[in-house]
Amino acid sequence: MFATTRRDFLWQSGGGLGGIALAAMLGRDQALGNTRRPDGGLHHAPKIKRVVQLFMAGAASHVDLFDYKPELVRRHGQPSDFGESVEAFQNGLGPWLKPVWDFKPYGQCGKMISDTVSPLGELADDIAFIHNMVGKSGLHSQATLLQTTGFTRPGFPSIGCWASYGLGTMNDNLPTFVVLPDHRGLASNGSRNWDSTFLPAQHQGAIIYPGQPNPIADLFPARNGDFVTRNSDRGAIEALTKLNREHIAQRQGDDRLEARIRSYELSARMQLAAPEALDISREPLHVLRMYGLDHNNNSWPREINVPEETDYFGRKCLVARRLLERGVRFVQIWSGNDNGFPRRNWDSHEDIERDHGPLAMGMARGTAGLIKDLKQRGLLEDTLILWSTEFGRMPSSQGGRGRDHNPFCFTNWICGGGIKGGTTHGLSDAFGYKPLDRAHPTEVYDVHATILHLLGIDHTRLTFRHNGIDRRLTDVHGHVINEILA
Amino acid sequence: MRAAFWIAVALALAGFAQLPRAADEPLAATRMIDFAKDIEPLLAKHCIECHGPKKQRSDLRLDSRAATLQGGTEGAAIVPGKSAESLLIRLVTGMDKDRVMPPKGDRLSKDEIALLRGWIDQGGEWSSTATTEKKTNEETWWSLKYLVRPDVPKVFHEHFPIRNPIDAFVLAKLREKSLEPSKQADRRTLIRRVYFDLIGLPPTAREVEAFVHDASPTAYEELVDRLLSSQLYGERWARHWLDLVHFGETHGYDKDQPRPHAWPYRDYVIRAFNEDRPFERFIQEQIAGDILFPGTVDGIEALGFLSAGPWDFIGHAEVGEDRIDGKITRHLDRDDMVSSTIGTFNSMTIGCAQCHNHKFDPMTMEDYYSLHAVFAAIDRTNRRYYADPALMKKRDALDQTLRVLDRESKALQAKMNSRGGKQLADLDRKIADASRPTKGPQHVEYGYHSGLAAKEDMTKWVQIDLGKTESIQEIIVNPTWDDFGSIGPGFGFPVRFKIEISDDANFEKNVEIVLDRTKSDMANPGTDPQSAKVEKMARYVRFTAAKLARRVDAFILALAEMSVHDTSGKNLAAGKLVTAFDSIEAGPRWGKKNLVDGLANQVAAARPADLAKLKEGRAELIVKLADPKLSADLAAAEKAMDDAKKEIAKMPPGQLAYVGAVHHGSGAFRGTGDTGGKPRTIKVLPRGDVRKPGKDVVPGALSALSHQPARFELPAEHNEGDRRAALAKWLSDKKNPLTWRSIVNRIWLYHMGRGIVDSPNDFGKMGQLPSHPELLDWLAAEFRDGGQSMKKLHKLIVISSTYRQASADRADAMKVDSGNQYCWKTNRRRLEAEAIRDSVLLVSGKLNLKMGGPSFQDFVVKHPEHSPHYKYELHDPEDPASHRRSIYRFIVRSQQQPFLATLDCADPSLNVEKRNQTITPQQALAMLNNQLVLAMSKHFAARVRSEEPVEEKQAITAFRIALSREPTTSEAETLTRYAKDHGLANLCRVVMNLNEFVFVD
Repeated sequence: MFATTRRDFLWQSGGGLGGIALAAMLGRDQALGNTRRPDGGLHHAPKIKRVVQLFMAGAASHVDLFDYKPELVRRHGQPSDFGESVEAFQNGLGPWLKPVWDFKPYGQCGKMISDTVSPLGELADDIAFIHNMVGKSGLHSQATLLQTTGFTRPGFPSIGCWASYGLGTMNDNLPTFVVLPDHRGLASNGSRNWDSTFLPAQHQGAIIYPGQPNPIADLFPARNGDFVTRNSDRGAIEALTKLNREHIAQRQGDDRLEARIRSYELSARMQLAAPEALDISREPLHVLRMYGLDHNNNSWPREINVPEETDYFGRKCLVARRLLERGVRFVQIWSGNDNGFPRRNWDSHEDIERDHGPLAMGMARGTAGLIKDLKQRGLLEDTLILWSTEFGRMPSSQGGRGRDHNPFCFTNWICGGGIKGGTTHGLSDAFGYKPLDRAHPTEVYDVHATILHLLGIDHTRLTFRHNGIDRRLTDVHGHVINEILA
Repeated sequence: MRAAFWIAVALALAGFAQLPRAADEPLAATRMIDFAKDIEPLLAKHCIECHGPKKQRSDLRLDSRAATLQGGTEGAAIVPGKSAESLLIRLVTGMDKDRVMPPKGDRLSKDEIALLRGWIDQGGEWSSTATTEKKTNEETWWSLKYLVRPDVPKVFHEHFPIRNPIDAFVLAKLREKSLEPSKQADRRTLIRRVYFDLIGLPPTAREVEAFVHDASPTAYEELVDRLLSSQLYGERWARHWLDLVHFGETHGYDKDQPRPHAWPYRDYVIRAFNEDRPFERFIQEQIAGDILFPGTVDGIEALGFLSAGPWDFIGHAEVGEDRIDGKITRHLDRDDMVSSTIGTFNSMTIGCAQCHNHKFDPMTMEDYYSLHAVFAAIDRTNRRYYADPALMKKRDALDQTLRVLDRESKALQAKMNSRGGKQLADLDRKIADASRPTKGPQHVEYGYHSGLAAKEDMTKWVQIDLGKTESIQEIIVNPTWDDFGSIGPGFGFPVRFKIEISDDANFEKNVEIVLDRTKSDMANPGTDPQSAKVEKMARYVRFTAAKLARRVDAFILALAEMSVHDTSGKNLAAGKLVTAFDSIEAGPRWGKKNLVDGLANQVAAARPADLAKLKEGRAELIVKLADPKLSADLAAAEKAMDDAKKEIAKMPPGQLAYVGAVHHGSGAFRGTGDTGGKPRTIKVLPRGDVRKPGKDVVPGALSALSHQPARFELPAEHNEGDRRAALAKWLSDKKNPLTWRSIVNRIWLYHMGRGIVDSPNDFGKMGQLPSHPELLDWLAAEFRDGGQSMKKLHKLIVISSTYRQASADRADAMKVDSGNQYCWKTNRRRLEAEAIRDSVLLVSGKLNLKMGGPSFQDFVVKHPEHSPHYKYELHDPEDPASHRRSIYRFIVRSQQQPFLATLDCADPSLNVEKRNQTITPQQALAMLNNQLVLAMSKHFAARVRSEEPVEEKQAITAFRIALSREPTTSEAETLTRYAKDHGLANLCRVVMNLNEFVFVD
C-alpha cells in the first residue's frame, strides 16, 4: 500500500526527475551511498521494522530489579569491600545493601525477577537480559548521551535518528522518530538525546505530549490565533498553493519550491492523522486494563505513588503502540525527569524504596501491557523493545537507604523480533559491582550494533560524513551480540 | 579564449625580455632528472649551509619546494618549467658578475647547472625520499601548500563583464568545463539578494523602486557601501560567526544552567564586524586578547570564543580533578577549545588525533595534546573588566600589585619559616586548618531555604514553635554550605538579620529582640555558628532576615540548623514545628523541617577560641625569632596588600564576561587560580584514556606547516597567557596558509551558498577539493595582504559579475554541473531561520532594533533551582523585548527554540559550518501556527490598515510590504479574494508563508 502511494506521490509532485528535495522531506532519500532493499533493509534482510526504546533517566538499579544477587542478601549490612579502591560519585560506599524487594523465578527459563517489576515476570521467556553492561562515565549527562547517541559529549545523532536516516519513513503523515518525554521535564541533556545534529532535520526525534492541546509543536494554531478558523486554514493552503505555483512558473527546475508546496499539504494531513493516532479514548476496556489504565483517577497524592506512575507510563506505552501501528518506526519513551526535587526519576541516592518502587512498578505495568498488546496483534514479531538506562547503582548503600552511581555495571534487556527470549547474556559479579568477566563486558555499541543489525543495517556501513569524519552510531566499536539472537 | 591565452603568454615573455643572457650558459639536461639522486645532493653541497635550516641568507631557504618557490627577499628562486627565468640559474651561472652563487668555495660545474636547469624545466618537483614528512605534506596536499598569489587569467565574455579577478577565475573555469555563465540578474532581484545577504533583512518597496530607477552607473556600488556601513550588517554577519564557534548561553549537559554573562562576546563579534576589524587582530583577540591587547574591552570580551561551547557543569562543580570522571570532564572541556580553535581558524579536524595520530591528515597526537597545553591553565568562568580603560588599567595594576606583593610576602614568609623551623610550620598549619571553613559532615539534608526574591531588601523569616513556653538559655544558628553557584560556606546567610522571641505566634505583641544585626551589613560568617544568650522564657523563636543573601541570580535566606538550648544544654527545638514566610521545599536538601533535624554542619563551636590562642602563640614566636628587618618587611608587604585590597573595594564593580580564563574557584571546581594560573601538566593520552597518561607535551600547534614552528619556544618562566599569545600569533601568521584559505572560503560560502571548498571545516583529505583552487588562493592572498578587511572582501564578491548572475536554472548547465559548483548561476537560497524571523517582525512593523546588551528570553523558566525548564510555549509573543533581532535571543542548549530549530537554525553543540536547508511539514506547521507568526499576522494587518485605508487595496499593500514588489493581476485577485473571505490577519499570515517570502533568487 505504501509503495503505490509513494510512487503516485513522487510522480504527482516532482514530475519524476525533480523530486530530490521532496524525497528528502519524506525521509525517502537514499542514505548516502546506500540503496535500500525492497525488503526494507539497507544491507541485508531485516528481522524487525520498528523499535521502542524505554529509557530510565537518573539510572535504574539493576540489583533491585533484574539482576538477582543472593550474595548481597547474605552479606547485607556488612561493611562493603570491593577488593579495590572505588571512586563513587557521592562516595556512597556504605555497607552492602540487599535488594529492597524479594526476587522470584518466572517462566520456563526461571529468571529471577524482583517483585517491584513483577508484571514483567510472565514475559521472562520473551526477554534477553544483558547484565554486564559497562559505561564510560558516572555523570548523568555524559552517561545518558553515551546510551542515546554513542558519544559522551553532545553533538551526535541518537539511534532513532540513525534508524530514520538509514531506513526512511513508513508513513506519509506522522514523524518517523517520535519521542515521548516524561511530561514532568526532560532528562539530562534535554533534546540533545534525540536531536538530529548533523543529520538532516527530518530525522530529528519529534516530541509528542499526548493529551495536550498541541501534542506536537505548532500542530494547531497557538492560543493567540483566534482569527484562524478551519475555513480560513483550508483557504490558506489553497491560496498558498495557487500563489506558489505562479512563483514557480518563473523558476522551473528547482524542486525545493515544489517540495515546499507539498509540505503544506502534508502538514494538513498530519493535523488529521496525529490526533487520531494519539486518541486512546476509544480503546476498549480490556486493552486499557493491560496498561493499567482502567481507572477514572485524575488527581493524585503529593507523594510519589504507584497508581500515578502507572497511569503516566502506561499512557505513553499505549500511545506508542498506536504510533507503531500507524507506521512510526522508532519510539523513545522516557521515565523520569531531570534530577530535581521532589525526585521523579531513578537517581535514588536517598531512598531506593521510595522512588524506585512506584517508578518501577509503573514502568513494568505499562511495558508488560505494551509487549502483550503488540504480541496479540502480531506486531511483536517485527518490533523490538529495548529497556535501557544511564548506568546502574552500587551494591553498597548510601545514607542507609539509597544507592550511589555504578557506571561499572548495569543491565539492559531486549525483547521482540529476532531475539532469543528467556536468555541471560553477560553476567555481573557476585555483587553486581562489575562484570563477572571484566575483560569482556557489553557496551552500548554492541547493543546499538545488534539493533541496527536486526533492522537490516550493518552498523559499520551506516555512515554520514561530518567535519571530515565518516561518523557512525557505533564510532569505531560494536559487535552484534549473536548470543541473544533467535 | 585562445587569443586571450596567447596574450597572457606574450606578456609574460615580454616581462623577461630584459634579462641578460650569458652566451655560454649551459643547456638543460634532457634526460629525466631524479630529484633525490641528482638535485638534493647538489643543493646540500652548495646551497643549504646558507639557505637551509641553520641560516637563511636573504631570507631564502632551499630545503623545501614551497620555500624555494616562495623565495627570499628577491622573490621566487625557481620558476617551475622555466629555468631561463629562474633566479637560481641566473645566480649560479654568474650572469650577474658581482653576485655569483655560491659566493665562496667551488662554483657549480656545467653538468651540475645542466642538471638544475633540466630539473626546473621538468617542473621542479621535490620527490625526495630523504625530505621530512612535513615537506611531503606541503608538497602533496593543497591546503597545506604555501600560499602564493596566482596570476589572474585573461579572459573575456560579451555578456559577463570581468569586473574583478573573481570573474576572470570563474569564467576561465566555466570555459574549461564548457559552461556558459548566466545573464546578470535584474535590479529588483539584485537588491533583494544583496539586502538579505549583507544585512539579513528585505528592502522596502520604496528602496527597491529607487534603486531600479537610479540611473547612476555606480548605483549598485553605492547601495553595497550603504549596506556595509549599516549596523545591521554586523548583526547579520556575527550570526555566521556564532554558528561556527557554537556560541550558547547555557552550559548544556546535566542541569543546563544559564550563563548570564555570555552575551558580551556576542556584542564583541557584532562590533568587530561593524568596525571591520582586521582579521589578524580578530583572531588574536579571541585567543589571547587579554595578553596582546591589555586594557581593552575587546581584549576581554573576545575571549568568549574560548568558552562559547558546551560545558559539563556537574562534572566540574561536583567532581574534582583528582578523580577519573573529573579528569575526563576536564579533558572534554579542553578538547572542545582545541577542536573549536583549529576547526574555526584552520579548517582542520584535529579532534581525530586525540586517540591516535590522525588517520588521513598530517596531524599527530602530540600536536593535539600540545594544543591542550596551550589552554591548560584556563577554564570557563566569569571575568571582571571595565569599559573605562582607565579603570581597567587601574584594576589590572592593582591585581598585578597584589600578585607581586603576594609573591613577595610568600618569599618573606618562607624566610621566616626557615628561621622558625618546624615549630612555626606546625603552628601555621594549625592556624590554616582552624581558619578554613569546613564543610562538616555532609548530609543530604542541607537545611532551610526560603523562596527566591528579586531584590535583596525583602524581609523573610523562619520560626520555631517549641510547643510550650520554655526557659531559653541560648539560641545557636548554623549557616549552610552549598556549592551551588560556587558559593560554598555561608550559602544563603543574610547580610542583616535579627533573632526574636515571643509567646505570640504572629510576633505582633510581646516581642523581644535577642540578637540584632540589622543596623549594618555583616561579612558572611562562613559556617561559623551565630549565637545569642537569651536567659528568658518564650514559646516561639523567629529568625528574620532584613537583607537577603545573593544566590547567583536571586536573593534568599538559608540556614542549616537553629537550636534552642535550655540551661542543661538540651536542644528544645529538635523536631519541633517550623513555619516560614516562604520555603522552596526542595527535599531532601531543602525543607523547613531540616532546620530542626539536628544535622548542622558541625563546625566546632570552640574553634574561634582555638584560633585566637594559636594566633597569639604565633605572634609570641615571631617576637622570639626577632629579626626586626624581616618582620618589618613582611608587615609592610601585608599592609600594602591590605591597601591594594581596600583600593579595589572602593572601585566600581565593573562588568562580567563569561570567557576562557584562569578560574579562582573552590570546592571541586577550583581551577588554577590557587597556583596563580600555573598550567596543568598535559600528557599524551594513548587511546584518549585519562587513566593511562603517556609522555609530557609542551605547548604548540600543528606540525604539518613547515614555515611555522610546531612547538612554541617559550622561556622557562613563561605564564599561561604567553602560551595563548603564541598560539594567537601562530594562527594569525601570514605564513599560515590554512588561516587565510579558511576565512575567505567561509565568506565566499555565505555569499554564494556554496564554498569553493564545500567542506569549510575540513580542508583535510576527507574534505572536498576546491572547485577553484586558484581563485581561492588569489582571494586568500588578496585578503591577507590587502588589509584583511572583511568589508573589502564582501564588496569584491558582491560587486562581481559572478555574484550578480541570475538564479534561474538552465537545462544545458544542469546537465554538466547540477550542483552549480562552477558558478554558472547564483544559487537560490532558502533564508536562514533568523532572517525569516527578523523579516516577520520587520514587515509586521514590530522589529525592535535595540542593539547589544543582555539577551532577550523568549521562554519562561520553571524550576530554576535545579534543572531549569525552558518553556517556550509559555512565553508571551507580545513581549516587545522579544521583538529584537534574532541574534539577541538567549540561546539554550538543552532545549532549542522550537520555531527556529524547525527552520534549521544552528545547533549550539556543533561547530556549524553551513546551515542545513531542509523543507519539512513541521516547518509548514511552524510558519502557520507558531504563536509568534500569529501575533505578527495581527500586527502586520494593523500596520497595513494604518498605511492603506481603502479596504480593497489592503491585501495588495500587505503583499508589497512583504515582498517589495507589486503583485501580478492574477496574484492580486487571489490575495484580494482571500482577504475578503477571511480577513486581513489571515491574509497576512498567508503572505508570510509564501515561497517568495522565504526564498531569495
